Amino acid sequence: MGLIQRVIEAAGIATISITLSRGISRKVKPPRSVYTGFPLGHPLAFPHQRFRQLQLMRLLLGYAETLDTPGQIVVHKLSRDSDPDADCVLCSALDLRP
Amino acid sequence: MDAKTLIDQWLAKLFTRFPALFRRWVRTHRFVEFDDVPWTAFQGKAAHSRVALITTGGVHLKSDAPFNMRDPAGDPTFREIPADVTAGAWTITHNYYDHSDADQDINVVFPIDRLRELAESGEIGTMNRRHFSFMGHILPPHIHTLLHTTAPQVARLLKQDKVDLVILTPA
Repeated sequence: MGLIQRVIEAAGIATISITLSRGISRKVKPPRSVYTGFPLGHPLAFPHQRFRQLQLMRLLLGYAETLDTPGQIVVHKLSRDSDPDADCVLCSALDLRP
Repeated sequence: MDAKTLIDQWLAKLFTRFPALFRRWVRTHRFVEFDDVPWTAFQGKAAHSRVALITTGGVHLKSDAPFNMRDPAGDPTFREIPADVTAGAWTITHNYYDHSDADQDINVVFPIDRLRELAESGEIGTMNRRHFSFMGHILPPHIHTLLHTTAPQVARLLKQDKVDLVILTPA
């Protein structure tokens, strides 16, 4: 995904991404990325967690406005924040509940 | 279902359940590496911006051709997703991550409903009329096609739409 992000940014459009792997992002170097600690297949948390999904989107918009260092990978883990609709089997299995 | 699909899907579930295995795989896998970072300053505020989504989660309309899962090097093509598409009109073709949760709620990998809500609440200026999806398992020789053909095509379409900010979500 970082490859696509680089192309879009180079074309003159600002971009920000969620990364699921800081290891990959350190190699590919997308312009702006945020690591939130969720597992593969879950960049926007878990099914029907509208609160958490909106929280993540607002986080991305906020960082898009403020990041000014090319290639910065922001670590902003949300997995232990209180979340009123954090209720799914996989959350529990991965110990992602508060 | 053939043996390759079964193995790919089993590995995907394993990496999801055990992130340490995924991190080990990343350490031993070769990726395209860059020294430079492209940069376009984000002008203004999100509340006044046109925003588009790009996912590499293999999302596509059911009426579109699925991504090619037969090629072990992946599929560098993309699919366009209209902003006004109705819920249930899409599906996911991607054997390299466990999308059982995303199948229940597309916003897990492609937050289109959340972006629409942010537009309605005025937290972004407007949602672009279309968004784009790739299948994020692309190896040589298709990386060249991605970098020099299909990703630039998407960039041109987003420029035509006068998009200010693109949010990219992996899978």
